[in-house]
Amino acid sequence: MSNTQTQDKAEPSQQPQQQQKPSVLEEDDEFEDFPVEDWPQDETEQGTTANGTDAHLWEESWDDDDAAEDFSKQLKEELKKVDASR
Amino acid sequence: MGSIFDDFKDGQKLGSGHRLAAALTPVSTSANPGRLQSFYYFSNAAHVSSDLRYSLFQANGIKLPKQEQNSWVDIFAAYWSAVGELVRFEEAPSRASWVKVFNAWKETANQLIRGYSTGGLQAWTIPCLYVVGRYLRHFARRADAELSSQEADGFGDGFQDDVSSGLEKNAKLEEATRVLNRMFTLCLTDRSPIEDSRKWGIYDTTNLLFKTYFKLNTVGLSKNLLRALNAQSADLPDLSAFPKSHTVTFKYYIGVIHFLDENYAEAEQHLAEAWKMCHRNAMKNRELILTYLIPCHLVTTHTLPSKKLLAPFPRLEKLYRPLCNCIKSGDLGGFDAAMSAGEEEFVKRRIYLPLERGRDIALRNLFRKVFIAGGFEEPKDGQPPIRRTRVPVAEFAAAVRIGTHADERSRVDIDEVECLLSNLIYKGLMKGYIARERGMVVLSKGGSAFPGTGV
Repeated sequence: MSNTQTQDKAEPSQQPQQQQKPSVLEEDDEFEDFPVEDWPQDETEQGTTANGTDAHLWEESWDDDDAAEDFSKQLKEELKKVDASR
Repeated sequence: MGSIFDDFKDGQKLGSGHRLAAALTPVSTSANPGRLQSFYYFSNAAHVSSDLRYSLFQANGIKLPKQEQNSWVDIFAAYWSAVGELVRFEEAPSRASWVKVFNAWKETANQLIRGYSTGGLQAWTIPCLYVVGRYLRHFARRADAELSSQEADGFGDGFQDDVSSGLEKNAKLEEATRVLNRMFTLCLTDRSPIEDSRKWGIYDTTNLLFKTYFKLNTVGLSKNLLRALNAQSADLPDLSAFPKSHTVTFKYYIGVIHFLDENYAEAEQHLAEAWKMCHRNAMKNRELILTYLIPCHLVTTHTLPSKKLLAPFPRLEKLYRPLCNCIKSGDLGGFDAAMSAGEEEFVKRRIYLPLERGRDIALRNLFRKVFIAGGFEEPKDGQPPIRRTRVPVAEFAAAVRIGTHADERSRVDIDEVECLLSNLIYKGLMKGYIARERGMVVLSKGGSAFPGTGV
């Protein structure tokens, strides 16, 4: 990612040198001004991912892992303790 | 960016709003370190108006209607005073003051607003409004910081701080808000034909106000802007016709506003649009969008960010990965530990509430594992195998022991486990019922015991 390039472009237009030094009041959680006002589609997030979909960027929240057998074993062990404690 | 006069001349000759706005950008550049000084020393307080009239117009051969020309002279005269206050930081720092810069800059903003409302300024010059508005915010924050540090110096023991700081610590930023609000109205209420309308500045000024309201912790006031925008929506061009820097920022703030109202579905929609249109090199902004988009996804679709998605954002990977791993594996103890480890950061970013809902997903995944470990019923001849759908509550209790890392001495409360089960059933994460007298959970058959997860 050419992060530095963005900053280079920013310098002449909006991000003056004297203000690039971090100052105490510059909060780090504010949405920044973009260095350019507009950009073509192929420089967007959507334009750079295949087919413009981001499906592969999000995954299911559960895990069908190979450790299912381990879990079974563990479950049996704990089940004994549950039964014993009743 | 050239000299201030060159920028003005080129902007007017080319009809370029951005070039013109560069003239009103109060900075020196590495290529032109004396940019502000040379503008300030070209004249003096007694002659600045006539000098400006000459240097902006006659010397450049630029002719504008008299009223418009006068407006620019007034704007640049106020600007000249503000630049004078800025130059002082270089030359006589002990007498320099951000409060004075702010006051002078506010006058520049007021002159500019007057120029648009009654002084004949044309709509193509509207980028001047963004630049002046942006620096108004910037100088207001500097001035507030200066005021509060002076206050701290004056009452060194910190005794008075608590009393005064709460009320006054953003006094200048609040003052700036009133000016920004006038800019907003100026853009929204322009009735000229759309090709030549200040309405093209509406989202940029709205964004400035959003940022300011967030900073002032008065996010609720954003709703007034949204109401005003909605009331005018028929007369506004479609959002997609605006430059992407305006729309991405706007969508981000709308998304976060919904997010804070716990409208996660709407928040997700706006944030996803901001994400798609965001410039791929704007790492900081992409990171901020994702910070809110991830909890939205968790709540609305129960999906988690992939390694690939977070790879360019180590801070987010660190913030979210432990939670995501625990959710996936149904590790309740780990989830609780990750929540309290990240608590300060989550609260600061106002994402604690939706993340907390992840515990239900972790529990669902844990109980889903019990279901899968239960295997299949004896297949009846010719039929495809069916999972065992009657599962003893005790097995879920055993799973809760695993999930919470229970030690040998801790006892399992079956009532509590039943409570967890009915909660998941109530929330639609699990389908079935508890047959209490038999100590069984009877789950839905046909691949819908844990809706949406394939079993």
